[in-house]
Amino acid sequence: MTDDPTGRRPAPDIDDPSVGLDELTEEILPALIARLRAGRLGELEIRSHGWRVRLRRDGAATATSGAASGTSADGDSPPEIGARGVARSPAVGYFSPASGLVIGHTVQAADPLGRVDVLGIVQDVSAPTGGIVSEVLAEAGQAVEYGQALAVIDPLVPEFDAGSDEAAEDGSPAAAA
Amino acid sequence: MVERVLIANRGEIAVRVLRACRSMGLEAVVAPSEADRESRAVLMADESICIGPAESARSYLSTASVISAALVSGCDAIHPGYGFLSEDDGFAEMTRAHDLTFIGPSAEVLERFASKAGTRELLAGHGLPMVPGSDGMLRDDEHALSEAARIGYPLLIKPSAGGGGKGMRMVRTPRELQQALTVCRSEARAAFGDDSLYLEKWLERTRHVEVQVIVDNYGSGVHVGERDCSVQRRHQKIVEEAPSPAIDDTTRVELAEAAVRAAVAAGYQNVGTLEFLVDGEGRYYFIEINARIQVEHPVTEMLSGIDIVAEQIRLASGEPLGYGQDAVRLRGHAIEFRINAEDVKGDFQPQAGVVERYVPPGGAGIRMETHLYSGYDVPPYYDSLLGKLIVWGPDRDSAIARSRVALRELLVEGIETNIPFHRAIVEDQTFLSGDFDTNLLDRKGAAAFLSALPTDDAA
Repeated sequence: MTDDPTGRRPAPDIDDPSVGLDELTEEILPALIARLRAGRLGELEIRSHGWRVRLRRDGAATATSGAASGTSADGDSPPEIGARGVARSPAVGYFSPASGLVIGHTVQAADPLGRVDVLGIVQDVSAPTGGIVSEVLAEAGQAVEYGQALAVIDPLVPEFDAGSDEAAEDGSPAAAA
Repeated sequence: MVERVLIANRGEIAVRVLRACRSMGLEAVVAPSEADRESRAVLMADESICIGPAESARSYLSTASVISAALVSGCDAIHPGYGFLSEDDGFAEMTRAHDLTFIGPSAEVLERFASKAGTRELLAGHGLPMVPGSDGMLRDDEHALSEAARIGYPLLIKPSAGGGGKGMRMVRTPRELQQALTVCRSEARAAFGDDSLYLEKWLERTRHVEVQVIVDNYGSGVHVGERDCSVQRRHQKIVEEAPSPAIDDTTRVELAEAAVRAAVAAGYQNVGTLEFLVDGEGRYYFIEINARIQVEHPVTEMLSGIDIVAEQIRLASGEPLGYGQDAVRLRGHAIEFRINAEDVKGDFQPQAGVVERYVPPGGAGIRMETHLYSGYDVPPYYDSLLGKLIVWGPDRDSAIARSRVALRELLVEGIETNIPFHRAIVEDQTFLSGDFDTNLLDRKGAAAFLSALPTDDAA
């Protein structure tokens, strides 16, 4: 692969860059975005067909074309993700997570996420919204205060198609050319 | 000695307790409600742990939340401050059951002094004179009327639980009594969860004088003199001073000694205050005991040099008092002004909102006890006390002169406060004379005080 000082032109391994692009936008990107949303990772990068794609958390998916140069055009300030739910402690005490409180698990609104033990009296922690558990912020047995954030629930696939299309177009060789 | 104290209170007293802990080399954890996360005590503390929402019943009054907070934050003691859970014997008992030290009297002592009527009976047995009153709690209206006829009008209806003027009414006739009973019962029930009432003879022209006592767990106790809290508005103390300008030195010593003798004999422990009414002839009558630190305790600290909060902590840890009455020396005169977030021109309605600017006064003998800071957002959920200005001088006149200066310097901008009212009080001829009773403010009226002020001050 050759260096490109401008960082704008791709240096694909294959003859027709558009072949890789189709696969990228239709299969790879959506899968990556879903995985990123479900997981704890803040950033993902994949190389395929001479493309390097880097995705950053917070709903901003940035596809970059600087394959060999190593430059990556991260998006501007990422847009706010909609309807992100934070499960908070209902009391001061010791936290014990429910079995379903695992990153990547899908939960419904009001599903139990765990309990807080206040002098032997148990208070339930429930999911504020439905979605995917994206962050778990307290461990079993940890002392928590009232209102403390215990877990973050991200909404299920909020129309990311538009987002990924846009990201792919922005980073496509055609757009860059 | 305890090592790590959970401060289960808010406002200025949380700051006061935090300072006492630090000066004793103890760690302290502040336990705020959600509405007090930005309070001064929390900002000052090394550690804080939120115990519940703004609503007191689910935070500062929640026994389980407060004790849980102490346990999970690794504390070995709880300081309850004043109000909230400070005199709750059930809370003290539960604190002890979790191997935590309650900084105050033991659960047994709190229980013994929980009922005002029971306390009066107990302390009458140890030589304290009582205001003539009903024989125990009022069973019903009929009982109230017959007791009232026996004692004679005018009368004061008082709730057995609580304080602060709630559920209290003065009545002059049987008809007024009957009407007021219903109101007092519901007020007392709403405020304290207990609607038992009793009657007391209304003494005309009385002063409110209280005696500070410090008693260890082994039967040794001292008094730290008296405080005069006669400047009241609707039974709420506004200005307190010591020594009382109303009693002579013979009565002063007799009263204080009688108070501490009775408290020790009745088995009282830790820091406490015995409240008395003093009539025009200097006769005193016991009314109630406050088994906790009081808002006006700094007045006594200024005269004695004793850190009363530190004494609470020390004695609750089981240490002996370690000094006798001879070691307690009272010097000079001190006055405390309660700074409240109130609209003095709007019937003293409590205020909330952002304090745009706070500038404390300074100088010789000046002390501010407050949780104020510039930018502080006063929450609407709690009482209106913003702090206290305490002024010491070698005598009453010099303390008043310094008070005038300090009240001019003290700036609280952004919300209405009663500072203009205090400026008016220190110019009032009756206050200056020292010859007044607890009815001074209500009889004269706030408007009359304020109109006496120079116009720029009354604004």
